[in-house]
Amino acid sequence: MQKLEDVVIPMQPTSISIQLLAGNENYDEIPYLKPLVPFDDTVISFFDELSMILMKHPQGRDFPDVITFGFFIRKANIKRQMKSYTCLRSNVGRGVSFHIAPSNVPINFAFSLAVGLLSGNACIVRVSSKSFPQTDIVSDAISSVLEKSKFSDLKRYISIVRYQRNNEINNFFSSLCDIRVIWGGDNTISELRKSPLPPRSFDITFADRYSFCIIKAEEYLDMQNKKKIAIDFYNDTYLFDQNACSSPRLIYWVGSAKLVSQAKEFFWSFLHEALIDKKYKLQSMTAINKYIASCQSALDYNNVEIPKVLDNLISRIELKNLPADLPERTCGGGSYFEYTDDEPDKLFDIVSRKFQTLTYIGYTNAELNSLFIGKGALGIDRIVPCGKAAEFSLIWDGYDLISHMSRVVSID
Amino acid sequence: MTNEEKYNKAFIESFGIEKDKLNGLKYQDVISWDSIGHMQLMTALEDEFGVELDIDDITDFSSYEEGKNILSKYDVNLNV
Repeated sequence: MQKLEDVVIPMQPTSISIQLLAGNENYDEIPYLKPLVPFDDTVISFFDELSMILMKHPQGRDFPDVITFGFFIRKANIKRQMKSYTCLRSNVGRGVSFHIAPSNVPINFAFSLAVGLLSGNACIVRVSSKSFPQTDIVSDAISSVLEKSKFSDLKRYISIVRYQRNNEINNFFSSLCDIRVIWGGDNTISELRKSPLPPRSFDITFADRYSFCIIKAEEYLDMQNKKKIAIDFYNDTYLFDQNACSSPRLIYWVGSAKLVSQAKEFFWSFLHEALIDKKYKLQSMTAINKYIASCQSALDYNNVEIPKVLDNLISRIELKNLPADLPERTCGGGSYFEYTDDEPDKLFDIVSRKFQTLTYIGYTNAELNSLFIGKGALGIDRIVPCGKAAEFSLIWDGYDLISHMSRVVSID
Repeated sequence: MTNEEKYNKAFIESFGIEKDKLNGLKYQDVISWDSIGHMQLMTALEDEFGVELDIDDITDFSSYEEGKNILSKYDVNLNV
């Protein structure tokens, strides 16, 4: 054990390799780096330069999530985000943030890095052991920006790492951090919570969440841009194989049986076209899982209807009521529960803490406001138009991340 | 480079199109002006003219001509 005054920090495990994708490999020095103020100028400049590389990246068109991230971190947007934070003058970063990125959304690690740095902290970000092109594209771009001499100091604040699941390494990084940001759901949270944290450090956890979509049939039928809506829905779902926590799994149709039936014809047909256009590849295993999910629902619930579909790309399970355990059913890859009602009220029967994102088609903000705010539901952290489910925000899962990850120094 | 040349360059580079396509060009007229292309164009214009576009203006920026009107609100004169 290395002792420095009162601080005891376990030695970095040497037996297992930690692959450094970008930034600082000298992990021992990281707890002693000076925290930054939120929205530090050098950090904003770093992200702006990173944005320029990513927005023009030759592979950008293949990876819209990389472009979306680049667009989010550009200076104009960061400055816009800053305007919401008028009371940060006494805030400073807590020190070190250790991020465990999920394996279902490849670009997530980059957003986590952004909130960590923008809130004033050094960031150790563990990316998924699964390899994704987006991870390489962004890490390489980060490395190249950090080579500039004006970022030589900032480089010490960033470590993008990859290692196979390992308690020893988790223990090591957990012992260095002030904040541990755990993405990846309930199982990952349990795993990381086995690693102790120093007394003042805490977790920010992103647990398993459930998301859904509400569609007003009459409005949908009148819309001229049904093709665009299908692409928006694709971006919310299939872009992540329907595995993002914000990907809708239930579609709540509002309208008469006749209107809903007409709307469904268009909706699923346009979506299928979009899947063909985008050459979506369904894995055999997923096709089987979806089939099992459909059969299981038919066995477990009353009066389930499995509509006939063209192929395995879209699986639909039509329900006559909303069972309380529906959020436990999270088969991905294009498996959708559907429920129809004249009114949206039945939603409240099943909304629980697990509910995160509600996407909508055919509703106005005012209607949604009067429906959901003030009803005292235990869940639903955000309500966004179809197409924006995965749009990242500095406020996520009900956490105001900039405020949470910085600390207030009170001076009387 | 004049402002108009800079404006055109942003379109030409973001969408990989020729100058003769610019007049009357609207969102989704060419495949490359989809939501991805739109983000790329907005970023290029912000960089080129040193402006920070409002979210409403980004949403309303639906054509080559409309864009010129929008940028004039940011004191970018595109008739030079």
